Amino acid sequence: MVEAVLFVLMAVAALTGAVTVVLARNPIYSAIGLLGTLFSVAVIYVVHLAHLVAAVQVIVYAGAVLTLFLFVIMLIGVDKSERRIETLPSQRIGVGAIAILLIAGVVAITVFGNFEWVPAAASVIDLDATNGTVAAVAEPMFTDWVLAFEATALLLTIGAAGAVALAHYRRRN
Amino acid sequence: MPEINWLAIFPELTLALGAAAVLLVEVQWKPRASTLGWLAGWIVLLAAVFTVFQWVWAGDQLAAESTGRLVTFSGMFLVDGMAVYGRLALLGILGLGLAGAHGLYEALGRRAAEAIAITLLAAAGFSIMLSSNNLVLTFLGLEVGSIALYVLAGLTRERKGSDEAALKYFLLGSFASAMFVYGAALLYAGTGQFEILAIRDHLAAVIVARPAVIFIGLGLMLVGLGFKVSAAPFHTWAPDVYQGAPAGIVGYMAAIAKIGGFITLARIFVTGVIEYHATWAPVMAAIAALSMLIGSVVALVQTDVRRMLAYSGIAHAGFAMTGIIGGEIEGVLFYVVAYAVQLIGGFAVITAVSGPEGSASDLSEYRGLWRRNPGLAAGFALLLFGMAGIPLTSGFIAKFGVFSDVWATQPWLVILGVLTSVVTLAFYLRITVIMYMEGEEGDPIPARASTRWVVWIAVGLTILWGVIPGTLLSFVADAFAL
Repeated sequence: MVEAVLFVLMAVAALTGAVTVVLARNPIYSAIGLLGTLFSVAVIYVVHLAHLVAAVQVIVYAGAVLTLFLFVIMLIGVDKSERRIETLPSQRIGVGAIAILLIAGVVAITVFGNFEWVPAAASVIDLDATNGTVAAVAEPMFTDWVLAFEATALLLTIGAAGAVALAHYRRRN
Repeated sequence: MPEINWLAIFPELTLALGAAAVLLVEVQWKPRASTLGWLAGWIVLLAAVFTVFQWVWAGDQLAAESTGRLVTFSGMFLVDGMAVYGRLALLGILGLGLAGAHGLYEALGRRAAEAIAITLLAAAGFSIMLSSNNLVLTFLGLEVGSIALYVLAGLTRERKGSDEAALKYFLLGSFASAMFVYGAALLYAGTGQFEILAIRDHLAAVIVARPAVIFIGLGLMLVGLGFKVSAAPFHTWAPDVYQGAPAGIVGYMAAIAKIGGFITLARIFVTGVIEYHATWAPVMAAIAALSMLIGSVVALVQTDVRRMLAYSGIAHAGFAMTGIIGGEIEGVLFYVVAYAVQLIGGFAVITAVSGPEGSASDLSEYRGLWRRNPGLAAGFALLLFGMAGIPLTSGFIAKFGVFSDVWATQPWLVILGVLTSVVTLAFYLRITVIMYMEGEEGDPIPARASTRWVVWIAVGLTILWGVIPGTLLSFVADAFAL
């Protein structure tokens, strides 16, 4: 029951946030709407015991990425009036057509496909399951997959050194 | 805890720690670029010593077992003949590449440390990729190597060509990497395994009722790796990147991507999914045929030496792929190493003629090169003959090897290969004619000692492997006795 209530609350919040992102005139409102969506989805992850994914969602997306968005918006200037002329002609019609096709596809699969939807909120959650917790993800990551983990460290090194190598050149001349 | 065999990752570990050491030395002492280059050279030598030790040690270890492979890190990492051979080849090319890029590093000034560190890390990435037994690690190695190469392509960003090359390589390359990882995911979906050896055992034991998912996955992985080795129709980046990137590093970039890409291709397709050989062989044959045709014909009309070598590289990707189609590995292992050496030697000559930072090398610059620098002209001509596959060069033995692998099953591919080889000879001869028969007296072109060394080592190996192919072939054969 708690899961169902939480799901409905968070789903409504997530959708509201998503609609805000698209409809808000002020880009700051759009960014905050995105924040609401990301947080609501993170709560749904927690309900499903995917603790690590929820934490990553909040830290990486809601924290880092969104801060970056806000930074860019502020840098460009919030007050600057936006040109609302559409550069791609008839893109609304195109997007609408794709959306209708997608919805029609989902409806067709639901009606004609011979399988049952099992809403996650209705199923009983096994509170003893630990497959999504931080410990459950961390253990294989630092034992069986340690080499892959270390390989990503090389990627970060290249990222840092590469940024310096590519961005440092103007000072030369 | 997983069983960890430190010796298995010593070469990669040495390169990675060495790259860190280069960066830290730069912070503390700010030495000259050539000092850092020497430091990097010693690091490469140390890694090579570890690899040779692996060769001996793995031989002893495996003599007792029958699997022919040493798998460690919970099935992630392999020490087998192919991996050790590939590592040795990468380290050799890395040594030549560092020497060939000497002029570039000096021109970069204070950025040399980052450039040298990234040069080392690129080899570490491809080394991880070709020794990996797990598709996730293969992908990570591919990314480490590729991202390092994108940066190397843009080292002289103040020049327009280099900036364009880096961006183009990055955008198309990340798209190809995404293809590869999607393919790996689908292969996992179809077999339930990430480990290449486990996939092989699974496919040998189970008859998959609906293999479509596996086929799509294999196709996507072929696209991803085909991009890395610049096989047609995934080759469009190659001419622009070869032309735009700083001359000093292009040979290295192209050579290690080819070695890493082809050995990984062989590992996944010949070791992993040999069960579906009948399915993937025709697809690969089509790619090889297209590469040979496009590479050799389009190269004929190029007026820039680097673009010409890029298209010839596409043709060579086709020739080398011919070696995999037969389901054999020996031919392609010989081919990529022989070709990589010729490539890095050829680009060393271009570095001397066009300058280490340059973004163009028009054919006219090579007029009368034999008067202006007879050594370079002779070396370049010999390397070009090697690429063309003239007898008594390694190119001939390499082509003979890959073509004899498929003669029994796909003779048409061999005929096409021989015909396109003749076409490639035309533009290699054209450069030679321009160097020897055109142009008047000009200013002599000086070449650094490091460049001369790279050229002459490449020429020496090309002739040595051509006259006494056993010197490399015995390594390839030993690689599979390991």
